[in-house]
Amino acid sequence: MATDGLASLLGVFDISLDKLSNGELWLAQFFRGLSDGATYASVALALVMIYKSTGFINFAQGSLALLGVYLVYVFSVEQGLPVAVAVVCAMVASAAVAAFVERVFIRPFPPDHVLPLVIVTLGLLLIIDSAVGIVWGFRTRSLPSMFPRGAPIEWGIAQLTWRTIGNLGTVFAVVGLLYLLLSRTKTGLAFRAVSSNLESARLVGIRVGPTLGFGWALAAAIGTLGGALVVPDLLLEPSIMLRVLIFSLAAAALGGLDSMVGAVLGGLVVGLARNLLVTFLDLSELALATAVAVILVVLLVRPTGLFGSTRVERV
Amino acid sequence: MRGLGIVVAGGRRHRRRQIIGWALFALVVALIPFLIADTYSPTVFGNRYTVGLGNLSQAIALMVAVLGLNIATGYSGQLSLGHSFFVGSGAYLTAVLVNDFHWSYLSTLGVVVPGLFMFGVLFGIPALRIQGLYLGLLTFAVAAVFPSIIRLDKVADRTGGSNGLLIDSDLEAPAWAPLDTVTEWLHAVPGVGSRVPDGLTGRQEEAVYKYFLLVIVALVCFWLVRNILAGRVGRALVAIRDNPLGAAANGVNLAAYKTLSFGISAAVGGVAGTMLAMHSGFVGADEFGFSLAILLIVGLIVGGAGTLHGAVVGGLAIQFVPHWSSQTQTLPGTDVALEGPYGTAILGGLLIAIIFALPGGAAHGFRRIKARLMPVAPRPPQAEIVAGDA
Amino acid sequence: MSADYLEVRGLKAAYGDIRVLHGIDFSVAEGQIAVILGANGAGKTTTLRALCAMVAVEGSIRLAGEELAGRRTADIVRRGVAHVPQGRGTFPDLSVDENLLAGAFVRTDGQVRADAERWYEAFPVLGERRSQAAGSLSGGEQQMLAIARALMLRPTLLLLDEPSLGLAPMITRSLFEQLTAINAEAGTTMLVVEQNAALALGVADRAYVLEAGEVALSGPAGELAADDNVRRAYLGY
Repeated sequence: MATDGLASLLGVFDISLDKLSNGELWLAQFFRGLSDGATYASVALALVMIYKSTGFINFAQGSLALLGVYLVYVFSVEQGLPVAVAVVCAMVASAAVAAFVERVFIRPFPPDHVLPLVIVTLGLLLIIDSAVGIVWGFRTRSLPSMFPRGAPIEWGIAQLTWRTIGNLGTVFAVVGLLYLLLSRTKTGLAFRAVSSNLESARLVGIRVGPTLGFGWALAAAIGTLGGALVVPDLLLEPSIMLRVLIFSLAAAALGGLDSMVGAVLGGLVVGLARNLLVTFLDLSELALATAVAVILVVLLVRPTGLFGSTRVERV
Repeated sequence: MRGLGIVVAGGRRHRRRQIIGWALFALVVALIPFLIADTYSPTVFGNRYTVGLGNLSQAIALMVAVLGLNIATGYSGQLSLGHSFFVGSGAYLTAVLVNDFHWSYLSTLGVVVPGLFMFGVLFGIPALRIQGLYLGLLTFAVAAVFPSIIRLDKVADRTGGSNGLLIDSDLEAPAWAPLDTVTEWLHAVPGVGSRVPDGLTGRQEEAVYKYFLLVIVALVCFWLVRNILAGRVGRALVAIRDNPLGAAANGVNLAAYKTLSFGISAAVGGVAGTMLAMHSGFVGADEFGFSLAILLIVGLIVGGAGTLHGAVVGGLAIQFVPHWSSQTQTLPGTDVALEGPYGTAILGGLLIAIIFALPGGAAHGFRRIKARLMPVAPRPPQAEIVAGDA
Repeated sequence: MSADYLEVRGLKAAYGDIRVLHGIDFSVAEGQIAVILGANGAGKTTTLRALCAMVAVEGSIRLAGEELAGRRTADIVRRGVAHVPQGRGTFPDLSVDENLLAGAFVRTDGQVRADAERWYEAFPVLGERRSQAAGSLSGGEQQMLAIARALMLRPTLLLLDEPSLGLAPMITRSLFEQLTAINAEAGTTMLVVEQNAALALGVADRAYVLEAGEVALSGPAGELAADDNVRRAYLGY
């Protein structure tokens, strides 16, 4: 059995030279990678926002985004609103839900005990995911995209589609707006002060609870936007965001959990790695595993990611 | 010290009470399979529930899975959200060995335990460098990958791919096992007897036999883990969890003990996988994804991290809560239909409620109640007296 | 007796089950400097934290006649109480300038920028590093920043928790000189917790010695400093 297994393991890597020398294929996968990467980046941004401000990973981030995406479906397909409007409405609604969740389930716990809070977010993951299953069932649905079909630029099979452009543009716009919000507004200052030193933030009169609630709301809105970018490429069903969550976690870990720039770059790298590796090493079944391999390798080399700062943490 | 029911630890009365406790426990464990060999199905508030031996056997396997997780996470404090990976590996290893190599179930443990131990040690090596939430995140991702590895085309002919794998060997009760005789005796006992069938069908006999096998494997696991944890290793692990720097300063080899804890944790997880395969005679890739990983965390926390009793409570909880919720088809006492994964939602709620109200988990709660009802005083330093034993 | 600006009666505080303050009384007159002395674990830091509602308290805390006990930290800060906590009172990831702006978080007047410039003048080191991350400053610079950050509130009551901790003696002395100058100039009432008893008694008007969560001794700072018995028994120099 041992030799058998080894042979089959080697066989996994069917590298063909034809493929490798196909420039158009490279370009095609590059575009797809950017597009996927942009969506991972936006959910990763949401994760980083929570980690930065609270020091824990919100495992329910994907679930909040899932709820948001179903709301997009309700507003656009069922209520007939234009998709972009539906996305904005869903972002607002999921922000409200997240603020409520933070108030009820997170704030009662002391903010400096990380492990209980992580466990609570796992509980929230179970609750929200099953609530979505209970309300909307497990039937798959298709969700329209915010962006038109078609590709304005083509080189053979390589297409730079409106969707790719739109996904990338949206993510960069989000990063830009987020940067302005955090560095130019008083709310942003409060948020960064709380992230940097909880006690001193309290002592200058910042109300920590509402500030963190605001962080949750903002993260959920960004996550919903990310979901609305990614789901049109797939089909909407209750477990969809868990896959996205894994890729986004990979992106966040790659960039360093507390770096927003890192999250975006990490998202793009994971998106590219996924598409290029899958295509050229013929790993379509191992897409998820490549993400995990990326996390593992990066963390082994740099235990706090590429852009993350070392912080003393006890879990 | 006298009166009031306080006994001294290690005293004769304490020992006697312990023996009575264990005897009762053994009796219950031995009798239960006969009582529910005929699936018991009470109707509560208009919903029909089942309490079958199969559920209990599965719960026992899950207890062992939670026990394994407890070693890495509960005792040595390394957040592992990927324990399902070890359980799944154990289950598939057993399934392949039984199917393709015609081993018996129990003999596969000879491969599963050392194999998973080494695997866990390998897994523990990166965990030395990657800590806290980063480790949680990595293990979470690893758990998510397991099903896709099983489904790989290259291994699908062995693992059955997406279809899962039916294991051909049936566990039949050996002729010497007096299961039928015991059943007939119990049937004759007034009161209890009415719940016991007057003879076991072939299927029931197999189920009862499997139950006892699983109980024995589980008891051995708990006993071994208890002994490991009661000694040097256990103290080192707890020291690492509570104060890594202090432990290192006192000469505890952090790296060795952390990898060791992952090794033991994985080996016990693998045994749980074997038990699950034994119980259901089937393995499916999706059963061992991160839903199981999260479920095991739920079991760990609900039962109580860092306690052995907690694993028992946790295993029961993650088996029966979803099972019974899925059987609750109308809101108790009303006609309102319930449909969908309510059980998972309830488990999520339970998880949060436990963290909120009972941070030590159910085991801690039980211990507090027990301490109030039956206090045990530590033995005084130079106790000549056998206190309370008048 | 003139009405005291800060008047504390029967203050009790606990962390969980562990009671740290057992009902202490003290007061600080307007525009004066009071110092709290005592051994480690006597409850000095807890006293300051209690004034800002950073721990659960019982008893009465009156600031200019108004009851503070039971209010939220943010409300207390709005009433002009600034607190420089022990050790890390800055926001290490924010720039020096942002630290000062954060200090003025609850202020709504238009003078914030002007005030920041004023403290840059008073602490030139900070002025030179205004766009540098606070975490990259030296210990002494961080302590200055923490104090400047607190002063950005335009506090009427300034609470300082061991401002000299970890600072070189020279720097400590100049820091205390600056504090006295601010006190004289702006009339800011100050309550200082300090290990360096000699230094603190030199600048303070009034002193309290805490022992195991109770006030063991109180009186004018000069008297306490002059009493040899007191010095030997409580102040250790």
